[in-house]
Amino acid sequence: MDNLSLLLDGFAQALQPQYLIWAFIGVLVGTAVGVLPGIGPAMSIALLLPLTYTLDPTAALITFAGIYYGGMYGGSTTSILLNTPGESASVVTALEGHRMALAGRGAAALATTAIGSFVAGTIATIGLTFLAPTLSQWAVTLRPSDYFALMVIAFITVGALLGGSPIRGMAALGLGLFVGVIGTEGTSGQQRFTLGIPELGDGIDVVLVAVGLFAVGESLYVASRLRKGPISIVPVTGSFRTWMSREDFRRSWRPWLRGTVIGFPIGTIPAGGADVATFLSYGAERKLSKHKEEFGQGAIEGVAGPESANNAAAAGVLVPLLTLGLPTTATAAIMITALQSYGFRPGPQLMTSQSGLVWALIASLYIGNIMLLVLNLPLIGVWVKVLQVPRAYLYAGILLFAGFGAYATNFLVADVAILLLIGLIGFGMRLYGYPIAPLVIGAILGPMAEQQLRKSMLISQGDPTYLVTSPFAIAAYLSLIGILILGLWLRRRGGAPDEL
Amino acid sequence: MTARAGEYGFAAAFAALGAAVLAGAGSIPRPSAVSGIGPQVFPYIVGAVLLVSGLGVLAGISRGHAGAAEAGEDVDAEESVHWSVIIRLVLLIAAFGLLIGPTGWPVAATVLFVGAAWTLGAPRSWPSVLIGVVMAMAVQLVFGSALGLSLPPGPLLEWTGIG
Repeated sequence: MDNLSLLLDGFAQALQPQYLIWAFIGVLVGTAVGVLPGIGPAMSIALLLPLTYTLDPTAALITFAGIYYGGMYGGSTTSILLNTPGESASVVTALEGHRMALAGRGAAALATTAIGSFVAGTIATIGLTFLAPTLSQWAVTLRPSDYFALMVIAFITVGALLGGSPIRGMAALGLGLFVGVIGTEGTSGQQRFTLGIPELGDGIDVVLVAVGLFAVGESLYVASRLRKGPISIVPVTGSFRTWMSREDFRRSWRPWLRGTVIGFPIGTIPAGGADVATFLSYGAERKLSKHKEEFGQGAIEGVAGPESANNAAAAGVLVPLLTLGLPTTATAAIMITALQSYGFRPGPQLMTSQSGLVWALIASLYIGNIMLLVLNLPLIGVWVKVLQVPRAYLYAGILLFAGFGAYATNFLVADVAILLLIGLIGFGMRLYGYPIAPLVIGAILGPMAEQQLRKSMLISQGDPTYLVTSPFAIAAYLSLIGILILGLWLRRRGGAPDEL
Repeated sequence: MTARAGEYGFAAAFAALGAAVLAGAGSIPRPSAVSGIGPQVFPYIVGAVLLVSGLGVLAGISRGHAGAAEAGEDVDAEESVHWSVIIRLVLLIAAFGLLIGPTGWPVAATVLFVGAAWTLGAPRSWPSVLIGVVMAMAVQLVFGSALGLSLPPGPLLEWTGIG
């Protein structure tokens, strides 16, 4: 098959020593930032965007993909071992995995997470390999109005389904769209909302938005109510070879596969990202388990399923990213920015015009998954040490890298001022319960959506019904309504996982 | 400032920004050469989203739907917000911006790191200063020297040829 030979070419590329090293650095950095509270893959990739000035595109994207996958692995380690689990995507893992750790079975929880993530990541990457070429061939036939429909779906699902409050999500989205509007408009050359400040003429750099929100905003917020006292971590005992018993394997393999099957499709559609997938998987495992009484007390199925779903969804997110140029998570949105900084136009043409790059990236995902499996189990001692970094130095370090990321974008002091302002907005948003991701997606996807809207109106000569009358657009808007109803219903159930 | 007032104020800022965007969108000139819709249409949509959602949040707060502050591994939700810490960190970032031109990256970054670490409760001793210097220099060497970003080394280091 043609795709298979392209994939083999990708492997030939990705297996070159320099790319292997970048993949290794990527998964290592990714796991470390995943383990560390306060930093995630979105922020790390945003901070490392200046790398795109000096690295070749393949090396940069392989590094970023490694960070993306690594962050997924690392995050679960934190929620299993740290005595104060966070409330983000890994809330379900925290529920069962943390109980397992407290019961002295932390090693089994970590092992089923790592192997499950590997299984799910690999199967989902195979799914990506076969789905992406077909999807991108079909996507070439889409009209501008169809793209606009897809973007509206992404905006509304991300805005309404992420975070606790849909209306606050829409407000955050609006702010992101506004940030995207600031600057010189491409088609007409008009200045919009620059207030006569020359530095705003080129718009606000996405790096500043992402770093300001994720790094500065997060640091300010954590600093304002920093948990005092020692960092308490559940100790892990035993050698990694004896971590999972035969019984653990017997109870884990079905949840791994089920999690993959649930996670991958949810990742490919813009339906609120990995959170929904983990909740669904947790609910399914709880229903199907023969050990229902263990759920809530540390059931291994409740770790194996959601963690696999989480990783499969992460790979699924790459499908619309590579075939449509449509980011559905904040991390994916920042990877789009990396592509743009090389002058590549994200969209269905990417698979053909940059086929070498895309296939090397896909091959590196397989390699990264193996590296992560090999790295994670034996190196758990290292990650436990990383988890114990004194928080004063951790957040000071995050601020230092934020300053670096902001300044290295354009080497302008004005950017540091913008960074600070965006950081304060991010602080307020966290304090008052506004989700951050819709803002980032709005800022990155907003200008693309405007382009598609204007193209559509140009084709239709100003007739707005053109936007909603193509068969694809009709199907898209109908499924948006379906996704919203389903998502809000799931959220009401997901908000209280004990009642699932 | 009570938490409630802050929350109202923050939501009102979204609504006010929306109103401002709607007002400002009208004054974006539409060049006659542009066919299709002009550069002011999308801002109208954005302004409307901001205004409506801002008002929606305000209405929600008045009906008792307060925003849930974000939880996190290092966040003590019981703790009230320490505004003095926020002010100090903001001043440190501002100082970083002002210093990086005249003193270069290593000095500005060290000031930011050590100041932030001390603000967050690190021991006020020489070892924490040393950690800051090492961090700043590591970034300078890796990104500046090895990867070729033009980070300013500053007058203290210019003679060494690092940069």
